[in-house]
Amino acid sequence: MEKFDRKRLERIGELFKNPRPGSKIAAAQEFGIDLTLTFEQLKKTPQERVDYLQSAMKSLEEFRRQAKEWRKQNGGRI
Amino acid sequence: MVEFEPAIKSLTAAEVEFVIVGGLAVSFHSTGYITTDFDFCYLRTTENQKKIVSAFAPFNPRLRDFPENLPFVWDERTLQNGMNFTLKTTIGDIDLLGEVAGIGDYEAVRKESTLTTLYECKVRVLTLEGLINAKRAAGRTKDLLVLPELEALREAIVETDDE
Repeated sequence: MEKFDRKRLERIGELFKNPRPGSKIAAAQEFGIDLTLTFEQLKKTPQERVDYLQSAMKSLEEFRRQAKEWRKQNGGRI
Repeated sequence: MVEFEPAIKSLTAAEVEFVIVGGLAVSFHSTGYITTDFDFCYLRTTENQKKIVSAFAPFNPRLRDFPENLPFVWDERTLQNGMNFTLKTTIGDIDLLGEVAGIGDYEAVRKESTLTTLYECKVRVLTLEGLINAKRAAGRTKDLLVLPELEALREAIVETDDE
């Protein structure tokens, strides 16, 4: 699986912007999925997507560590 | 948090038969989903289990939620005595699955996988279709939450496939 070409990305982008009523794309939007974020991921290669995930995991872990530290310093307040 | 690169490189170097499933496979297919562990389905032969043992031995695996004061032996006998293992290692949480709900054992999962390259290693990843089936069968809230995005992706990919 490789990166999608520009033409295909444009077509997918169009489907995401103007989903057919009753389609799975429309259902995802109604469910609350932000498909602009999905589209950003589609622009990447599989390795870039995995790198993005790894980087997001690191950021999330650092955020959790800081939140834990903050709670400790503030008597357990959330 | 798990480090994917050493996990994948070790499995590949040891020539383990495995298919990437779970959160990493979800991200691989373009969603913004964030996972914390590395899940893979493995072939349950003694030879493959030996390779897994050797691949992960440097990372000191132990079962998660297993008392720290009890001895845990990481060898092929341990793997033969179970099907699925949730491990805590020095590179993070890693789950070994002998079979995947909604798909079946390693052979069935392999048929539902695609070959790709990650970290310069040739690896197999569960297809979008396979992921949808697995997530639906697992049925946990966290699995069901990702389903609408996976189904939307599948629809967009199918509808723009001219080949």
